[in-house]
Amino acid sequence: MPPSIHPVDLIAALRDKSLTPAIVFLTSRRACDEAMEAFDHAQTVLPPARQEAIAAALERVIAQYPSIAEHPLIPTVQRIGVAAHHAGHLPSWKIAIEELMRQGCLDAVFATTTLAAGVDFPARTVVITQSSIRKARDFMDLTIGEVQQIAGRAGRRGKDYVGFAVVTPSPYIDLGVLTKGFTGNPEAIDSQFTITYPMVLNLLKAHQHNQIQAILAKSFAQFQLNQRAELLERKLDTLHLQMEPFGPRVCTDWITQWHTFDQARRQKSHRHQTVRHEAPEMTARFHFLTPGRVVGLNRGRGVVLRQYRSKGQKSPMVTILRPGGAVTECPAGIVTEIYDRIFDCEEQPGYPWCTAASFDELHYQLTELPTRLPVLPILVSKESEPLPDAIVQSLGDFPCPTCSSRSACQKDYLIASRMRQEQQRHMKSIQALRTSLWHRFQERIDVLQKFGYLTPESQLTADGEWARLIRIDHSLLITELIRAEAFTGADPAVLTGIMASIAHDDDRPGAFPRISSGLSSLLGQVRKLAESLSPYEDPPLLRADIAAVAERWVSDPNLTWIGLCRSTTMAEGDIYRLLARTLEFLSQLHTLKATHPGLADTASKALALIRRGVLEELP
Amino acid sequence: MTTDELAQLLAQQPVAILHRLARGRVQRHFRAGKRRLIDMLIQHSTNNLAGLESDLQALIEERQSRVQTPVPPANPVPPRQTAPHTSRRPTRTHEPESTEPGVTLTAWLEGLGVPTPQPFVPDPWQEEALAGLAETDVVVSVPTGSGKTYVAVEAARRAMSENRTIIYTSPLKALSNTKFTEFSKIFGSDQVGILTGDRQDNAQAPILIMTTEILRNLLYDAASGEIDVRLDTLGLVILDESQYIADPERGVVWEETIIFCPSQAKLLLLSASIGNPQDIADWLTSIRPSPCRLVRHSKRTVPLRAGYLHPNGKLTPLFRTAGIPYGHPGQLHPEAKRLFLQYEEDTLPSGRTRR
Ligand SMILES: Nc1ncnc2c1ncn2[C@@H]1O[C@H](COP(=O)(O)OP(=O)(O)OP(=O)(O)O)[C@@H](O)[C@H]1O
Ligand SMILES: [Mg+2]
Repeated sequence: MPPSIHPVDLIAALRDKSLTPAIVFLTSRRACDEAMEAFDHAQTVLPPARQEAIAAALERVIAQYPSIAEHPLIPTVQRIGVAAHHAGHLPSWKIAIEELMRQGCLDAVFATTTLAAGVDFPARTVVITQSSIRKARDFMDLTIGEVQQIAGRAGRRGKDYVGFAVVTPSPYIDLGVLTKGFTGNPEAIDSQFTITYPMVLNLLKAHQHNQIQAILAKSFAQFQLNQRAELLERKLDTLHLQMEPFGPRVCTDWITQWHTFDQARRQKSHRHQTVRHEAPEMTARFHFLTPGRVVGLNRGRGVVLRQYRSKGQKSPMVTILRPGGAVTECPAGIVTEIYDRIFDCEEQPGYPWCTAASFDELHYQLTELPTRLPVLPILVSKESEPLPDAIVQSLGDFPCPTCSSRSACQKDYLIASRMRQEQQRHMKSIQALRTSLWHRFQERIDVLQKFGYLTPESQLTADGEWARLIRIDHSLLITELIRAEAFTGADPAVLTGIMASIAHDDDRPGAFPRISSGLSSLLGQVRKLAESLSPYEDPPLLRADIAAVAERWVSDPNLTWIGLCRSTTMAEGDIYRLLARTLEFLSQLHTLKATHPGLADTASKALALIRRGVLEELP
Repeated sequence: MTTDELAQLLAQQPVAILHRLARGRVQRHFRAGKRRLIDMLIQHSTNNLAGLESDLQALIEERQSRVQTPVPPANPVPPRQTAPHTSRRPTRTHEPESTEPGVTLTAWLEGLGVPTPQPFVPDPWQEEALAGLAETDVVVSVPTGSGKTYVAVEAARRAMSENRTIIYTSPLKALSNTKFTEFSKIFGSDQVGILTGDRQDNAQAPILIMTTEILRNLLYDAASGEIDVRLDTLGLVILDESQYIADPERGVVWEETIIFCPSQAKLLLLSASIGNPQDIADWLTSIRPSPCRLVRHSKRTVPLRAGYLHPNGKLTPLFRTAGIPYGHPGQLHPEAKRLFLQYEEDTLPSGRTRR
């Protein structure tokens, strides 16, 4: 049996049960195109009346968007009443297909899941062939929300009593993901607030430095951080109650007193204990490395299973569960990032330091983590912990041995000190949750000061004044290029090429051999600068083939769209999106006319040259 | 045992056993379907197939001994120890098997057809959203295809009658274009403008359509003192598809837009179903001049039925019931279950059955 149903059979089955019109969601654009090709030899052809209806509807769309008049798929679509719709197509072609679908001319559309959001493109039936989608280079299971968004296309109000979602398997499908998606409640959503350089510049342009914290406090991010802080505060309240029996005794702070005494006692018996030199950052972080905590490591992530101090090691140690299921013992120093995420972890005294169920659960959760996690900013307390000094006291200084509460202290010390540690940890977490946005903002300010966009008093410098108008991705790279006068003397085509390579963020392979030497050497310069900025801003891909495509379109005004498409392996929809995004980037440069008239002028020439043919059809 | 034999033996095992084998061997094994799991297991153990085999045998024996243990009815053997919270994962939940037969295909297909045209009557939730908007900000969270556009259009109409400017934003240029066409048809093309990163058409019209980034930029400029009359008369800001606030790259733009939205303008957030719309509404209440109204429901207007189409062309209902058994992912139709298991068996990893 074939691993999945043949597209022609699929459509036949749907037609047979009157389940058309249908949207068939496939994993990739290629799969959509191949499905269309499968109809090349199919016998089923639409009756003439329906073919004419499609032709007439298409004609109306073509009148508005002439670029699709010669579209190679038109004859197939007319003959079989089935079309493909994905990001590799021109927007105008997609509009045409949407229009045909709305008018009921088509029986089915093969589409990728990008169609799921927003576009009013309903059908009687959706066919689902996958349970995961590609997100940032990795396949991720569909969320419940995504499954429902896809299923939401099934059933047209006013045209259907019911809608159908039909699952048909392909080799890598996980039916459980889909049944959970159909029957579950959509996931809660979380803020993804980040602080960008343009945000900092624009906020500081309009507000005083001391007003910013209040503005950041209005974000959904802070709203959600507060929710978490309140949860911890409630835990603190409970702890507070539990601590009541361990209040002041003969000494007010008997816990510390006993702790110091106990240390001194031990110190005496092992004179030659290893001396620990720990950076204060390490000490501060160690509080957070508790079982269940998600941490970032040099390579990948892990969950802490336990923390301990080992006699032989100078630094504190942690046991970490890695995504592959490996359990490793490592010095706490290898933890690069402490994430604001803790999973439940039922501890257990022996390997693997938690119960088997916890282990499985943690392991599973680790693979399910989103690609981006909020980082816990760790505040390093200035005053170092006083203990090591106290140890030099001689035992004779302690009242403990003869104190009346000695046995009570000895008995309660372990539990009381544990609770107090937990209290302190919660308090630190709460403080971190309340102030983390502000700290992140400060970090950005530091960078902008270092580069001279802000004065030490956090006022905009002359450069900051214009730099705030660049509000796109990679803004730091772009403004630094402008300051380095990298674009002086660049013609519109070269400027377009550079902007295209900065704007493009897709790593789909493409091929385009010819690039002018001017663009190539400038691109080399841009790469160097981007590399040197990488501690402050992720560098863009800066692909030469992408730069070359955009340059070519601008440098040769007689080049037709078809000609451009033939010169590269990129899909035409991708070329369109590339140029459209480049237009946006260039028009940001155009806003700098007051301070950089030459650059703005080149940008506006480039804008005029790009906007022709297909790129003029839509706003 | 040869690789092929081992693959076959693996294929005969329930997926749960494969997952246990994969523990510590294969990354992300929870993601993989049975077939892929087998591929990955064998690939991982190419140098130590014997190890894999002996682990597998041990698991099989363990399972058989459990199955064969006679179960006295009064004192049933507890199921394999699983912590209570693992039940969040549907693949592991073991719902009691219902013995009732599933719905028939004919019953499942019933209702197929075209309803007679009805005069347009707004849904109660649409009225509720519009009524709310007369006083305050509104967050709408309803399933895809429920009719959020109607709320946007009517709200725009009302704001326009008060000589207010309306800004409508969407996350995608393609959506903006569609809405531009749609709104131009409804309100007349002189009443609707569109702003994109590089182009402005009819930018002084009372209804302006743009992507959310463009609106954020307008608000930046206004905050730093640039005068924009359109913002002075702004009466309504509609953020369509506002579940984008959770987009890893662009979500921040929605937050900024909402934070900087002038307080004299009403906010209308239109979102697909999300799990925590109340949080969004509470957040708006905490930062906006008046308490936000939440309009939500999760019932689809056109009911959904789920089916399973086997590669051989056989169609069956996916669940026991004709409708979706909300909250019960395990209620698979016996026929669908049988066919899918057969599919998993048939698509063996050795490559014999590939096209
Ligand atoms: N009260 C109503 N009665 C009948 N039909 C309606 C009603 N409201 C909206 N519709 C119809 O429902 C269909 C879907 O509406 P719309 O596109 O606004 O959905 P939506 O909620 O925006 O979906 P999406 O999540 O895809 O953006 C439209 O064809 C619309 O005409
Ligand atoms: Mg909509």
